[in-house]
Amino acid sequence: MTTKQKILVIIPAFNEEKSIGKVIKEVKKYLSQADIVVVNDGSTDLTSEKARASKALVLELPFNLGIGGTMQAGYRYAHEKDYDIAIQVDGDGQHDPTEIPQLLLGLKKEKGDIVVGSRFITRSEYQTSIMRRIGSSILSRVISNIIKQKITDPTSGFRAANRKAVQLFAFYYPQDYPEPEVLVLLSKSGLKIAEVPVTMKQRYSGGSSITKVKAIYYMVKVLLAIFVDCFKRPPFVGKEREGC
Amino acid sequence: MLTKFQIIVGVLSIIFLLITFELIHKQKLREEYSLLWLFTGAIILIFSIFPYFFLSKLFSQVTGLYYLSAVVLIAFLFLLVIVFHFSIVISQLTERNKDLAQRHALLELEFKELKKKLLPRE
Repeated sequence: MTTKQKILVIIPAFNEEKSIGKVIKEVKKYLSQADIVVVNDGSTDLTSEKARASKALVLELPFNLGIGGTMQAGYRYAHEKDYDIAIQVDGDGQHDPTEIPQLLLGLKKEKGDIVVGSRFITRSEYQTSIMRRIGSSILSRVISNIIKQKITDPTSGFRAANRKAVQLFAFYYPQDYPEPEVLVLLSKSGLKIAEVPVTMKQRYSGGSSITKVKAIYYMVKVLLAIFVDCFKRPPFVGKEREGC
Repeated sequence: MLTKFQIIVGVLSIIFLLITFELIHKQKLREEYSLLWLFTGAIILIFSIFPYFFLSKLFSQVTGLYYLSAVVLIAFLFLLVIVFHFSIVISQLTERNKDLAQRHALLELEFKELKKKLLPRE
């Protein structure tokens, strides 16, 4: 189905030495034709060594840039090396590589420029705290309203992007809360977003970057960031469209 | 009262100017900022020598401000502009820093791959 296309799997990793080998192995198992690049965001452990041992390419950032800068490094690589599709998979093992074909199918069938793997389209037994569920639903409602399209899981980092989206990301990628912000950016630039249902696993290691206590604080900051995004001039790709 | 104040401010501004000169001499301050601070130091010095401009009827009639409140307001606005300017500079630097870090990582990977290809056994 996707034999001719050049596919790159981008795995952002910050101190993920325990899980990174396993994630790479699984991705290779279910998507043998893809190249894998691990973007090491200034880890202090053996993430890079473990990734190289698993035969993945490693982009090593000289210091910690945060998730936005890390992902963008991956997209810049994809753009430079002329990949057709870039898939982002977390390095902590919560994204199930068996679901990658679903994302690819979404790119093809739903004609999206980016496909987001959503936990909440169908009921799954994925466990989150109540706080996070409430926060997540408020966030998805706000974003859905802004971009005038229903988005169920705006914080999901399990995504596939086509050439057009990769080009946009290589040029501009939000830095603070990239997952939800990217959606606003995309719709402003006139690119299409599609969602496909996926199930996610519990992480192999590490906790969520959002703890329960910080959930509200996180949400307020994300909302602020999104409102700020509404004022930003859209980047060059695609035709102009009034988003917000 | 005013003379005491004049002396304090005057001495401070001279010390400030000397420090600025020293930093320029050691090239620890870029020209764009050194000019700004020299200018600031000079203004404060002039103000301490001729405080009567701020006490003059003309000034208070034009601006509606009297001596002390005028000083505070001007100082505050000045600091506001500087801080704002610095946030713009910091934003630019952060962006460039990020860009450099990414480029560095891309080049490093390219270099390693090339080395592997050219020197398979090392």
